[in-house]
Amino acid sequence: MRGLRVALGWALVIGLWEWLGRTLLAGTHLIGVPSGIVVKIVENAELYGRALWFTTREAGLGYLYGNLAAVLLALVVVLLPGLERMVLRLALVVYCLPLVALGPLLRLVYGFGDGPQITLAALAVFYLTLVPLLVGLRALPRSWLDLTATYGRGRWTTFVVVRARAALPYLMAGLQATVPAAFLGALVGEFTGAERGLGVLSILAMRSLDTDGLWGLMLLSALVSLAGYLVVAGVARRVTPEQPSVLLAPPSSGRARAGWGRRLRAVAAVVLTAAMVVGAWYGLFALLGLDPYFAKRPHDVWAWLVTSPDAAANLGELLGAAGETAAVALPGYFAGLAMGVVLAAAFTLSEPVRRALTPVAVALRCVPIIAIAPLLVGALGRGAFGTAVVVAIMTFFPTLVSCLYGLRQLPGQVADVFATYATPSTTVLTLGRLPAMAPAFFAAARIAAPTAVLAATVAEWLATGTGLGNMMAVAAATSRYTSLWATVVVVTLIALVA
Amino acid sequence: MPAPAPAVELRGVGKTFRTGAEPLTVLEPLDLTLAPGSVTALVGPSGCGKSTLLRIVAGLEEPDEGGVVGIGGDDPLTVRRRGELAIAFQDPSLLPWRTAASNVALASKLAGRPVDVTRVRELLAMVGLAGFEDARPAELSGGMRQRAAIARCLITEPRLLLLDEPFGAVDELTRRRLNIELPPLWSGATTTTLLVTHSVPEAVLLADRVLVMSPRPGSIVADLDVDIPRPRRMEHLHTRRFGALVDEIGVLLGVDQFIGGQD
Repeated sequence: MRGLRVALGWALVIGLWEWLGRTLLAGTHLIGVPSGIVVKIVENAELYGRALWFTTREAGLGYLYGNLAAVLLALVVVLLPGLERMVLRLALVVYCLPLVALGPLLRLVYGFGDGPQITLAALAVFYLTLVPLLVGLRALPRSWLDLTATYGRGRWTTFVVVRARAALPYLMAGLQATVPAAFLGALVGEFTGAERGLGVLSILAMRSLDTDGLWGLMLLSALVSLAGYLVVAGVARRVTPEQPSVLLAPPSSGRARAGWGRRLRAVAAVVLTAAMVVGAWYGLFALLGLDPYFAKRPHDVWAWLVTSPDAAANLGELLGAAGETAAVALPGYFAGLAMGVVLAAAFTLSEPVRRALTPVAVALRCVPIIAIAPLLVGALGRGAFGTAVVVAIMTFFPTLVSCLYGLRQLPGQVADVFATYATPSTTVLTLGRLPAMAPAFFAAARIAAPTAVLAATVAEWLATGTGLGNMMAVAAATSRYTSLWATVVVVTLIALVA
Repeated sequence: MPAPAPAVELRGVGKTFRTGAEPLTVLEPLDLTLAPGSVTALVGPSGCGKSTLLRIVAGLEEPDEGGVVGIGGDDPLTVRRRGELAIAFQDPSLLPWRTAASNVALASKLAGRPVDVTRVRELLAMVGLAGFEDARPAELSGGMRQRAAIARCLITEPRLLLLDEPFGAVDELTRRRLNIELPPLWSGATTTTLLVTHSVPEAVLLADRVLVMSPRPGSIVADLDVDIPRPRRMEHLHTRRFGALVDEIGVLLGVDQFIGGQD
């Protein structure tokens, strides 16, 4: 009976969608119609199937490498806890690298093939696994650690007997969350220059106003990502029945208390991180023997930005582009945050809303949202509005998910206290749930900031012809590599500071 | 014939925490010697440093002054690595992914000994968990978890058993039962016991010797012998001698502490 109602509901939605697409929105290229999408997929089954296979393979390999790197790094940090802060900072720098600009640069390093896509997928994955994994390795009751200490055992035994197993649910959560992230990386790699794959086909479809094809491609990548997510979730349920208790602990940067000693140490840490990044930059390039023609070194960037005769013009161009990007990305980012909070609140206030939208929210968590960037640009035109919407949507979903989690953090007994006084649910929300949600919200806002930058630059690269994304596209196309590297540095800094 | 080495010998052990704005002295330097095979209870108000003292003996906390001279005349770390010291906490701290039996067996592993499966089953039966060998902690009641934690302590047949409010988190009825049923399992000539508790009746019921500690910074203000014959039974709770000892300690602690219970 229930199954029938659900089926009827779906039929209704699809019917309405088809009707809208064929009547009111016909000719606007705003949405594909279901029948058209199916026809497209069937007609191009071989082409789409091959592209799907390539993209899935890239995402899969990147997923493997990225998660492997995260696990190894977490091991290092646990066995040598002194390194933790440094490792986390460097990892954050890497996470904030603009994938959009790395795509073409990696293309030059790798030549033809799927190397760049795999690398980008790995980069998109590894931080998202590393952070919960480290939380899991440390979020232990002290008495479990006392147990091994009582018998005079060291870090290694503690790790084997307690930490490794205790962190398993967190690792599993990371492995689930990174399935769509791997697709995101692979798709960005394909958007910024690849020979084959779903990303390449969707750009072609976007350019030729093939709305049905675009929707079909998006649907395919979403379905594969969803399938991957469900498989990992199934494995996770088998391996660990328990759920991780704290998921969204932001990487602790130490509570900043005023005081010169602390400030001095913070500055020293930043300087040290910068020094290590520059060192790694030189070291890595020398090691790989990269051609200085495209693999610019830090001093080239410094010259381009500061010491060369054109430095002022260069800097002006860069800041202008950054301003354009900010003008679009900031409203989108804040709109996304606000929508996330409001919808999460609506979920907890209204049972019907919650029941109707929860599956949607869950589904969207397992889907690489970047796949809809070309779609939105195609639908909303090449103006700033389309880009802002892409940013807002990319910010919105992670915010919604973590706000929903945060709203549930009100302890049950406190909720019972409210219930004792028959408090209306809006008051429970404002006095209890929203304050309880705050840490999760701020964690989400921090994690979403690099995502927002990514979304803005992808949309600009694909469509609008403004901002940093476009500057990177032009620089890559015209072989102005110093300008490209300088943009990479600036965008990374922006994402880091945000 | 020389006297046997004391089961525990502490000399000048003091502890000050320096994490907050002002240093917080938890323990004034104190000496403590426990006779082999004795059962000693530490009682005192909340925050008097009795748990810290216990953790220092267990090697879980470093004292700022003085130290643990020896455990049964041996080096403390060696004793711990051999599994000759065991501690039970208020929280049973069983690993949730292991069964009751494999939680008990874990102590053997940590002590570097082969796991004796038969002995694990025997011990679980002795603490009243026969038939629950394969249950996970989540499937056990609070009292049953604490029984499993005690079995984990006993599997290595420790020379020194430390109990930090082991029955503090279970209900009063269960607590009484555990207090009567479990101590016979370890009280013997070979095991020395040091117990921390809030409950004065519990201290008197279990111990041969009760040490009363002052409020922070903690120091030992009284050292009483409990001259109630063993084995102790529920009936002892209602004897005149028992009541007198409980009263005496209650006066030393102040009336509000005498009421006992949790903080």
